[in-house]
Amino acid sequence: MAALRTTSRLFAAARPAFKSQIRTRTMATITSNGTATAPAVPPTQTTTVKEPAADADSKIKTFHIYRWNPDEPSTKPRMQSYTLDLNKTGPMMLDALIRIKNEVDPTLTFRRSCREGICGSCAMNIDGVNTLACLCRIPTDTKAESKIYPLPHTYVVKDIVPDLTQFYKQYKSIKPYLQKNTPAPDGKEYRQSKEERKKLDGLYECILCACCSTSCPSYWWNSEEYLGPAVLMQSYRWLADSRDEHKEERKAQLDNSMSLYRCHTILNCSRTCPKGLNPGYAIAEIKKAMAL
Amino acid sequence: MASIVRPTMLRQSCLKAVSKQTFSTKPTSMFPAINKPAASVLSKQVARNTFAKGALPGSMRVAAFHASGRRPILPALPPNDAAKVPTPHPSHGSYHWTFERAISVGLVPLTIAPFAAGSLNPLTDALLCATILIHSHIGFEALIVDYIPTKRLPKTRKTFEWGLKLATVVVGVGLYEFETNDVGLTEGIKRIWTA
Repeated sequence: MAALRTTSRLFAAARPAFKSQIRTRTMATITSNGTATAPAVPPTQTTTVKEPAADADSKIKTFHIYRWNPDEPSTKPRMQSYTLDLNKTGPMMLDALIRIKNEVDPTLTFRRSCREGICGSCAMNIDGVNTLACLCRIPTDTKAESKIYPLPHTYVVKDIVPDLTQFYKQYKSIKPYLQKNTPAPDGKEYRQSKEERKKLDGLYECILCACCSTSCPSYWWNSEEYLGPAVLMQSYRWLADSRDEHKEERKAQLDNSMSLYRCHTILNCSRTCPKGLNPGYAIAEIKKAMAL
Repeated sequence: MASIVRPTMLRQSCLKAVSKQTFSTKPTSMFPAINKPAASVLSKQVARNTFAKGALPGSMRVAAFHASGRRPILPALPPNDAAKVPTPHPSHGSYHWTFERAISVGLVPLTIAPFAAGSLNPLTDALLCATILIHSHIGFEALIVDYIPTKRLPKTRKTFEWGLKLATVVVGVGLYEFETNDVGLTEGIKRIWTA
């Protein structure tokens, strides 16, 4: 790939050298009497190409989308409205966004990747609920207008792209990997019983889309120190793992007033999770495990 | 690969390399296509066009790959370092939480018992007063911790923390006075309730 780019660049550099040698084609010229060089067929003999007429049964829905461009930092964020015919749009919000970007406004910026709720890129606030655009159906009621915002209380990179740096840093701080001191008994792998494995169900499915963390008021106020539901649930995922041997260190890491105990069981996290997981329950389990 | 190749595309870096005369003229096997430029018509033509007028012989073109330093187009972004892990304080963490829950749970029977039993025991009265005092202190403390972060408002935080301590002491003294010199909390509520 890089080699290809190199050659193309070299060609670009070479172009002026070619220019002097090759005769270039000029634009179409207009003669002095005002007619084009080739006589055109008069409009009376041609058919008129009209704008496509709107279908009678078209379902026009309005989408209000948060827009902010970092290239114009002095301009305030604004809500841009787009109308789409739902008959020509896919069923999900992400389909609508992609269609707007493809056909209406290519400057609209959003993250998306898998379009099936596996990657967690398209997390955004749709009609007041943090969710994945790819898992959120467009309400078919065309009178209700949909509003799309970036995840609340995040720094905005552009339009509906949030800056999740702090979220990832916090995730890194809980050491989300297996920590062992002893080698495996058979020298090959660390085994688990079915019951022990079952404890991880509902925890490992988290895709870290940050929907829950950014819906938590506690995380809004104290995101510098409070870890937030998503990261705490992952912390519990490793606390609940029968193979992990650094449980005490993990617990000690959370044993302060901010990291864990800013959770006040508001449960916005469990309500909003687009994967149907229960971070609130996981946090309660950590609290129980850390109590006397 | 691209970042290695790109600096050589800049004529400036090429000239710099020439002026320094620090290049190696020995082609290496790292870029086989360049070692034998005659291998393809394309590379031959490209070389001629880029370095017009034959100012640079082929050897220098090879030299540019090695002599000019690797210059990335954009500076490398800082790695995402893990967020700082605070030092453990169980008295503010797990012990605090357990204590808080114990107080909350204890309040339930303490509130109901005197009214249900109908007895006015000064001991349960005192216990109820103390528990309410601690419970409300912890509750207000949580409010302050939540809404007045030390990072942004360190002075306000200190003010509120001391204000809360003062308020708790004042309320504690007031309750003590009410218990010792007046009818007591349970009886007081009872009278207001029926009135």
